[in-house]
Amino acid sequence: MQSAGDDLISIAVAGPREAQSVARQLRATGAWIEVVAGIDSVVVRFDLASTDRAMAGELIDKASVEPFDESRASAEHFEIPVVYGGDSGPELASICEHLQLSEDEFVALHTAREYEVDMIGFTPGFAYIGGLDARLEIPRLQEPRARVAAGSVGIAGGRTGLYALPGPGGWPLIGRTSFELFRPDSELVFALQPGTRVRFTDARGT
Amino acid sequence: MTVRILKAGVQTTVQGAPRVGLRHLGIPASGAADPLSLALANKLVSNPAQAAALETTLNGVTLEFLDTATCAITGAMAMVRVNGYEIEAHKCFVAKRGDVLDVGAAIRGARSYVAFAGGLKSEVVLGSASTYLPAGLGGHRGRALKKGDELPIKSARKVPGLTTPDRFRPPMSASWMLRTARSSETGHLRGASRLFGKKLRVGNRNDRMGIRLSGDTFTTDIEGDMPSAPVFPGIIQCPGDGSLYLLSVDAQTTGGYPRVAKVTRADMHLLGQLRPGDSISLLERDVAVAATELRDKHAYWQEWLPEIARVI
Repeated sequence: MQSAGDDLISIAVAGPREAQSVARQLRATGAWIEVVAGIDSVVVRFDLASTDRAMAGELIDKASVEPFDESRASAEHFEIPVVYGGDSGPELASICEHLQLSEDEFVALHTAREYEVDMIGFTPGFAYIGGLDARLEIPRLQEPRARVAAGSVGIAGGRTGLYALPGPGGWPLIGRTSFELFRPDSELVFALQPGTRVRFTDARGT
Repeated sequence: MTVRILKAGVQTTVQGAPRVGLRHLGIPASGAADPLSLALANKLVSNPAQAAALETTLNGVTLEFLDTATCAITGAMAMVRVNGYEIEAHKCFVAKRGDVLDVGAAIRGARSYVAFAGGLKSEVVLGSASTYLPAGLGGHRGRALKKGDELPIKSARKVPGLTTPDRFRPPMSASWMLRTARSSETGHLRGASRLFGKKLRVGNRNDRMGIRLSGDTFTTDIEGDMPSAPVFPGIIQCPGDGSLYLLSVDAQTTGGYPRVAKVTRADMHLLGQLRPGDSISLLERDVAVAATELRDKHAYWQEWLPEIARVI
């Protein structure tokens, strides 16, 4: 446990699954203003006006953090159709050139696996989806875009990123999906949650 | 009751309460960039402190009343006129059908707040009426206002004509002191002490997501991208290009840049009034001192704004 600011406490964890598990349990106590998971940390924002920091620390220590439950990870599974390349994925051509792959080879590699959502964050509903094939490793854009369309699919740093809503972003874009990611009227406003399993399908020419 | 926008200014939005407890879904706070000034405007027209109102940016707003309405202006130091005649800010007034309110360009500070008795009727999305521009959520169609927009106001009872007492009018300045606490990567900053007490400047990249600070070169000993980690309004990031980036109310929920300081909760409301060119000193505060200072600030404001602990 470490201070991250006057009203923030950061908890170091081993990885995304542990982060989600710890965050879920801390959130369930209802004692915190925000509980946010990162890739290898969880940060809690407490009410500085009413909560003593030492007390907050004790509450975090006491929260029973159960080991990650494998059975919960596979609860949801979605197939997400992606129109790869062209206007939908403006960076696909340059990425393929950089990786020395044809677009079809790229799409074959990207649709070959089942992935898992590591975390939701950055912008509303943005999904960090882990497990990208090591052959598809590319850096982020030098100049982030001011606005990326909802449904855009990008890759960077070993992950696929999915934009549930429009927003700024620095991930090179490979395609776009029409899958309904934002559901403002349902209880779960974003279709994808940490732990959700995802498979991408090739929707070019459909 | 309705008002019509005649001149929208560079960025006038509907803002009220922040979105709370949704950052794990990637949903930023949004809400008034200067929630104290919003609460002061709402107080003058007997609204709840976080009722939806107009937030202007740098060059104000001009609007026409299509019905009688009670209204008040707070925030940035700016000339306020009704039908061409100057009126006082921080004082409730009753406008008649056809009256034109002009909130002028900010002379000191950056954002004015225009509250209407009853509050603006606006779209509540994910628990708040506030506009979140990057994703087009809430407020008036999720966007900044344009000329010709008509905004409905909820009906209100007749309200007493209040004026903000002098001691509760926040001073507007071109030179600000922000109390800050150390954050997760402060120890990785090369020459951490240089951050505190040093005069910095508000850069031109300044919006509701964040504010670039210039004035010196800051780097950390962290190479490359960090694993994405949670960030919050008030966090100061060190992106590696030598500048600092101070996150504001619309800030993203996670980020990969070192977090080298955090503006304390007590001073967060000042972020909404920083304008390009203003100077800033970051004062270092121990976390225990920061807690005491927040309680002191709440105690000071309690008399005029009983809801202060929810506001700042």
